[in-house]
Amino acid sequence: MASRRGRIRFNVGGKIFETTATTLANAGRHSMLGALLDDSWNPRQPAEGEAAEAEYFIDRNPACFAVLLDLLRTGELHVPPNMPEKLLNREALFYGLLDQVRAARWGPFDGNRLQLVDSVSGRAPGDGTAIRAGPDGGCCVAHGSMVHVYDWMLEEHRPISLDYQQVNDVGYIDAESIVISARERLGKGDGGMGVFSSSTGELRHRFRVSHYDQVKSFTAGALSLGSSDYKIFASCKGRCNEYGIGVWDQITGQQVDFFYEPPGCCLGDADKLQWLDGDKCLMVATLFPRTDNCFIGLLDFRDKSVIWSWSDAGTSVSLSLDEKRVLHAIAIEDSRSICVVNQYDDLGFIDLRSNAGGVRWSSRSKLTNRKAPNEESCYPKLATHDGQLFSSMNDGISVFCGPEWVLTSTLRRSYGGSICDFSIGGDRLFALHSEENVFDVWETPPSPII
Amino acid sequence: MSAQKKRNFKIEAFKHRVELDPNYAERTWRVLEHAIHEIYNHNASGLSFEELYRNAYNMVLHKYGEKLYSGLVNTMTGHLKEIARSIEAAQGGFFLEELNVKWGDHNKALQMIRDILMYMDRTFVPSNHKTPVHELGLNLWRDNIIHSSKIQTRLLDMLLDLIHRERTGEVINRGLMRNITKMLMDLGSSVYQEDFEKPFLGVSASFYSVESQQLIECCDCGEYLRKAERRLNEEIERVSHYLDVKSEVKITSVVEGEMIANHMQRLVHMENSGLVSMLVDDKYEDLSRMYNLFRRVPDGLSTIKDVMTSHLRETGKQLVSDPEKLKDPVDFVQHLLDEKDKYDKIISKAFNNDKTFQNALNSSFEYFINLNNRSPEFISLYVDDKLRKGLKGVSEEDVEVVLDKVMMLFRYLQEKDVFEKYYKQHLAKRLLSGKSVSDDTERSMIVKLKTECGYQFTSKLEGMFTDMKTSIDTMQGFYSSQYSEIGDGPTLAVQVLTTGSWPTQPSAPCNLPAEIVVICEKFRTYYLGTHTGRRLTWQTNMGTADIKATFGKGQKHELNVSTYQMCILMLFNSADQLTYREIEQATEIPPSDLKRCLQSLACVKGKNVLRKEPMSKDIAEDDAFYFNDKFMSKFFKVKIGTVAAQKESEPEKQETRQRVEEDRKPQIEAAIVRIMKSRRVLDHNTIVTEVTSQLQSRFLPNPVIIKKRIESLIEREFLERDKADRKLYRYLA
Repeated sequence: MASRRGRIRFNVGGKIFETTATTLANAGRHSMLGALLDDSWNPRQPAEGEAAEAEYFIDRNPACFAVLLDLLRTGELHVPPNMPEKLLNREALFYGLLDQVRAARWGPFDGNRLQLVDSVSGRAPGDGTAIRAGPDGGCCVAHGSMVHVYDWMLEEHRPISLDYQQVNDVGYIDAESIVISARERLGKGDGGMGVFSSSTGELRHRFRVSHYDQVKSFTAGALSLGSSDYKIFASCKGRCNEYGIGVWDQITGQQVDFFYEPPGCCLGDADKLQWLDGDKCLMVATLFPRTDNCFIGLLDFRDKSVIWSWSDAGTSVSLSLDEKRVLHAIAIEDSRSICVVNQYDDLGFIDLRSNAGGVRWSSRSKLTNRKAPNEESCYPKLATHDGQLFSSMNDGISVFCGPEWVLTSTLRRSYGGSICDFSIGGDRLFALHSEENVFDVWETPPSPII
Repeated sequence: MSAQKKRNFKIEAFKHRVELDPNYAERTWRVLEHAIHEIYNHNASGLSFEELYRNAYNMVLHKYGEKLYSGLVNTMTGHLKEIARSIEAAQGGFFLEELNVKWGDHNKALQMIRDILMYMDRTFVPSNHKTPVHELGLNLWRDNIIHSSKIQTRLLDMLLDLIHRERTGEVINRGLMRNITKMLMDLGSSVYQEDFEKPFLGVSASFYSVESQQLIECCDCGEYLRKAERRLNEEIERVSHYLDVKSEVKITSVVEGEMIANHMQRLVHMENSGLVSMLVDDKYEDLSRMYNLFRRVPDGLSTIKDVMTSHLRETGKQLVSDPEKLKDPVDFVQHLLDEKDKYDKIISKAFNNDKTFQNALNSSFEYFINLNNRSPEFISLYVDDKLRKGLKGVSEEDVEVVLDKVMMLFRYLQEKDVFEKYYKQHLAKRLLSGKSVSDDTERSMIVKLKTECGYQFTSKLEGMFTDMKTSIDTMQGFYSSQYSEIGDGPTLAVQVLTTGSWPTQPSAPCNLPAEIVVICEKFRTYYLGTHTGRRLTWQTNMGTADIKATFGKGQKHELNVSTYQMCILMLFNSADQLTYREIEQATEIPPSDLKRCLQSLACVKGKNVLRKEPMSKDIAEDDAFYFNDKFMSKFFKVKIGTVAAQKESEPEKQETRQRVEEDRKPQIEAAIVRIMKSRRVLDHNTIVTEVTSQLQSRFLPNPVIIKKRIESLIEREFLERDKADRKLYRYLA
């Protein structure tokens, strides 16, 4: 009869389940099931033999309990097709098993194995500005002056805005905090930058910029959240020519530095900032169509110097329409280069090791039909993740791998129009379409059993 | 689905908004509140966790989270107030017991309440910025119990009193103490620090201040240190038993400050038991304790070091200037070595082989050894003594140990060139008289000097060894080639010494007996025949001879004498009586040497092969000498020594010093020229410092002498003074 010991019987909503204490131990002490079986709630130790008869009643949905019990037994999540996700998530929250459900839902990110799992239609009046993936699988979408926030269950939370000013960029500090950079409103001190709670949508902190000990209002542009040293970088424009890159501490929220724009470098209007952990410097890219002359530079904040820069100012003498213009850029630290993309969706590479190098274009027109850029298309965007390079192109996203950046996969959906922005984070890829204001969620399925 | 369908058939008379039972929230809360009461009253066995959890869940789900949370705060506060009253009522020693029991109860209750309200903790608390239930429970305990006016001071007094009692030797309930301090730590490090640690440190400081004052009045230094160490260990042990680990540094620094740092000077200088008497009496244990305790406080070790240094210098100075000790050089050096051994042992046993202490020891020795300018001579004499006879029957390793110790003293010497001078003299004597115990030991000493001071320092010493070796070969060659011609004549053993390598004094050769002269001439022709272009000079003042003599009753003896003595005795082959003047005339031995020789032949009892008229101790110029045919000795071989001072006499010392000074001149000049050649222009002070540093390994040159050498070099036009700045010298290529 030894095998009967350690067995536990549940009556959930009228249905009997039997399982073992070891299976339930996977739920952890800080879950409803863990507390239910804890000694403090079971003061009399039942005698041998009698143990099997004891039965715990739980007034909940038995179908969901079956799924969750299976999750505890195997670590895998198999949701029957007729069971709504919301229902399962609600039950998981009741049992305190939501984290386990999330962990079992999708696998580690791999650009070549992505599956479209959901498309969420938004309610923004105009074109989307940006979409950002959160570290826990949620995302936020910026439209005009509003930012819509979705958690990992794709439940929408309260939308956030900074004084209803035009949002330029958003970013996650952590799953709970979102930074918004917005345009200033003349004379009011509104706009600038703020941190919001992603769950409640309330403003937690407003960032200040002071020049010569005087707090000034400013328009914040591109953001970069340096993950290793807890700093926030933002391109800033003040009204008295106070252009440059502001730096704040993520923990205290106080301004710690300001890199004033040196002549010949475009910092305050930057399209993209990217903190390079290995080199301890910040990449700043100011690109077409914001400026006619593209500028990409690496800033060292320790001695306030531009340690590397590239510009197409000298090369494009004839400003013909066919000229290849750099539209987006991303630094790839591992290969010591900056990847750029032009209006024909060609990828180009600039070597970071030499200071006067040009762009080495690798034409992609042989692989895809070069479509003349039409009115409807969006500018291409770039992203990297774990040695894979992603490039959006009209309504699809191409995945490149390997040292020569070979095209390995394309993510495309037949409707929704061209992609205006996409973002990778929390092991998910979010792609925002311009036309129908829909965003797609791509994730890697959990690894197969064998 | 079926319920909905049914509803479709129902005819609803009135349409009103579907509302939850208005009393629902209140009712549900009553259930939960009752459960909390039951939990605090140890009555939880009748409660159903599932039901309570579901109720709490429903309250949060139906937006009554705020009611639930504030209800929890109120209920828990009420219970804690009640608990506070029961703790306050506890009498005397039961106060802590009661507090501990209630704390345990509260923790258990808190855990169960948290289980019930888990859903609220997960959802309502973070989104409404509330304190999580567990932390809330701790905060309420802190505010209602620990910071209640009737408990706070009583608790602190109780804890401090218990610790005081333990310090005075009582046994206390450490388990209870640990639980209470653990509670304070659980409530947050600031609670532990503010409500316990700070007052605890303050009380400890005054306790140890008083105790150390009492102890220092009645204990000697060793005892005081023993007690201080015990107190320190007690406090460390206390921390490990029932205080926060982080308190250890703080409490030990209090004890160190009060018991050691505040009384450091007094302890070290304590009469009859302070550091000096510990050093004198080799109290390793006390010294080690002092070292370990003083190391903990700032300036502690430097205090010990300073006192040790001044004591060492004082005793060392007495040692080297004590005229009694100066009488026997071997004893003198042995004392130095013993002193060094003593302190080496103290440093290794008690002072953890601390480098700074070793340095202090070395600098002290360097200081006082050089106070006596005869130290180089004495050290060389010590080696001489050891190498002559002192090391007989001693194993090779032990010999090395002795030599290494001597080298250590040698390192302290500033005038290494003086040592070299003496060492050369003593080595020459050892080699020529064949008194050296072991060739290996001699060479080992040379190698040590060489590694210490370089090739230049020992090249002449090594030359002496080479001479000794080639002389043996030469003599073998001589005898094998001349064997037939020599016949029965005296046997000659010549040691050919290279001029310059040996400390020879030019001396007038005496008249050798005819038999000797013959064989000497033979050797001269043999040697010059094999080595052309050389000159041989006889050093008759350094040789020895073995002669056979037959005395009055026919008893035969072999006499071991010096060359001079041999010359004198040979005269008596042809005469029974000779006057001093006759001897002097016949031998041409310098008068001082002659007198010494005659003294040893005629005046030493048991060795008087000559008889003197009149009988007296001293030799006068008109004395007469007779062959003593009544000479008796129980030995067949008789060694007749020369009356000679082992230690240098005052005039000899002066002479040696002068020679050393003379030898230094070219060395100083060479150093000056070397420096000027590379630097071209230099001012006076820089030259002096550079020369001093260059020559330091050999001796410490006197600045006045350096100045003289510079002047001499200017005269000889190696250097010139700068025309503009008279302080500058310029090198003339």
